[in-house]
Amino acid sequence: MAAIEVSHLTKRFGALTAVDDISFAVQSGETFGVLGPNGAGKTTTLEMIEGLTPPTAGQIHVEGIDVRKNPAAVKAIIGVQLQASSFFDKLTVAELIVTFAALYNRRVNVDRMLADVQLTEKAGNTAKELSGGQRQRLSIAAALVNDPKVLFLDEPTTGLDPQARRNLWELIQQIKQSGKTVVLTTHYMEEAEILCDRIAIMDHARIIALDSPAGLLAASGIGSRIEFKASGSVQENTFGQLAGVVGLERNNGSFCAITSDSQATLDALFALARGGAVKLEELAVRRATLEDVFLKLTGHQLRE
Amino acid sequence: MYCLYVLTVVSMKMFVRNRQAMFFTLFFPLLFLLIFGYMNFDAPLRLHIGLVTHHPDAPTDRFLGQIRSMDVFRIHQGALKDELSALGAGNRAAVLDVPDDLLTPAGRSDPKTLTAYTNAAEPTASQAVLSILDQLVDKTSLAAAHARSLFVIQPKSVSVHQTRYIEFLLPGVIAMAVMQMSVFSVAHVFAIYKEKGILKRLMATPMRPIQFVSANIITRLIIAMVQTFLFLWIGLRMFHTHVAGAYWLLTVCVILGSVIFLGLGFTISAVSKTNESVPVIANLVVMPMLFLGNVFFSASNMPAILAGVAKYLPLTFFADALRAVMTEGAGVWSIVRQLVGMTVWSVAMVGLATVTFRFQERQNA
Repeated sequence: MAAIEVSHLTKRFGALTAVDDISFAVQSGETFGVLGPNGAGKTTTLEMIEGLTPPTAGQIHVEGIDVRKNPAAVKAIIGVQLQASSFFDKLTVAELIVTFAALYNRRVNVDRMLADVQLTEKAGNTAKELSGGQRQRLSIAAALVNDPKVLFLDEPTTGLDPQARRNLWELIQQIKQSGKTVVLTTHYMEEAEILCDRIAIMDHARIIALDSPAGLLAASGIGSRIEFKASGSVQENTFGQLAGVVGLERNNGSFCAITSDSQATLDALFALARGGAVKLEELAVRRATLEDVFLKLTGHQLRE
Repeated sequence: MYCLYVLTVVSMKMFVRNRQAMFFTLFFPLLFLLIFGYMNFDAPLRLHIGLVTHHPDAPTDRFLGQIRSMDVFRIHQGALKDELSALGAGNRAAVLDVPDDLLTPAGRSDPKTLTAYTNAAEPTASQAVLSILDQLVDKTSLAAAHARSLFVIQPKSVSVHQTRYIEFLLPGVIAMAVMQMSVFSVAHVFAIYKEKGILKRLMATPMRPIQFVSANIITRLIIAMVQTFLFLWIGLRMFHTHVAGAYWLLTVCVILGSVIFLGLGFTISAVSKTNESVPVIANLVVMPMLFLGNVFFSASNMPAILAGVAKYLPLTFFADALRAVMTEGAGVWSIVRQLVGMTVWSVAMVGLATVTFRFQERQNA
């Protein structure tokens, strides 16, 4: 049985359609990523599954329970981290864990919960006194107090520095290893690639692709990205029309050609250089990322 | 039940740890109580008299002794120049310049002169001093002439319990403190919880909103009782007030009063668009009640239209009920008007809060 089944889910806010007839299933024990730019409908989708926002249309089942019919039963078996994680200012970290457990009528071993998210030394501090990364870990601890079957993380690493982000990735991987189903949203492709078994790419309220990271790369037909610096008389969009190129990023004389055929693209680029039209510097060929897939699928970048 | 218990305990902790809330809950009303209490508006009238003497002879000294022994006078002795400047500064009702040989043996035709300087700007005080002195002169003259009084006045005082100002003030301050605490703490805290998304986070758990609201209400009812009994105790210890009526009836009044203002607090937090507008709206509602609600003075002396409005304010019912129980020992039937008034208000406010207050913003689905 799938942990989550969503079919024909739609949410409209007045004239705005935030989520437009999406369907997908998340398998038990899977880490499932919902990836997309801001405003794509990721958060609304999650909140409908969590029972926080009533859908306009469609069906949602979590662990076989219909969310619309029995939201309380679903809430009891899921853990939720919301995008803006704020807590009661005047309570300590330890008190917050006790409080959250009480919301499920549970008593938990606070020390162990805090140790799991490396916040043992912060037990007596208030949430205000924590760093961004510590606060997100507290938020995850609060989402785990009921030992949930499914954990929802809404942009868990947004706004964190690279070190804190890596720490959080480790924590999420630990949770994943404990067998829980994890659903997370992100607009970092790298994050989705590292953490997720499967990824749904959302843009403009719809799911435009859904596969494993490798599957998405393979299906997109793009193999690699060719990064180079070039100066010369050639028009910039000439690079976009080279053989095999499916997308081009430019940034102050630096270019990145996303290509489905690196051999052909390189040949064409060298041909230009030999003809004297451009002078090439700093040439590098890398494996394509999901970022490139997104660019190819949507024609725009994930983050502006 | 465990959930409600923990939520109540933590909401109590949060309240006590919030310095601002503690200030307005306890310190601020206490300040009012002490300042107005010690101003002592009902101290007996005292006339400050400047007495200028030099080396009075024995009869004159006896006369001065009589002046000094009068309760109504507060005597300041000094040089004429100093006392006159004190009079000029408004610190004396009169200055008496007494010659050393004021009382000379009877039979002398020309009486000596005692000069009484008074403040023309204070005719009432001057009149009082002069008429008391006149009586004293008459009495002394009669005594000197060995004449008998034609009749005597026998005073018989009937003891009437005179309400002291502190007895009026204390129930008013308690009502004010409970109102301020209930309205502001709820309105402010819930607006913040909503704005910061804390309520939404709570809604992602199986907790029902009623549990969270109940925990917050229980906390504030407990705090209202703490306020009431703390201020009663302070009144008892520092101002020798007493509670004539039943404590259980006082408790009923405090609970009814809190419920009204908690309802108002939830309503204000619901109608405030932002957290910043909460104190503005709350003050708009609360301030007029502070002046019209029989807290510091009775609204019955106000213009008829204000007094008419004041009669039906929830704070008026609340303060009057507390006052009647505390000072008059009123029972349920004597304050039935206030109790009915408070009940109607609490039903109305709780109803309004239920209609307006939402845990989550309503979404147009």
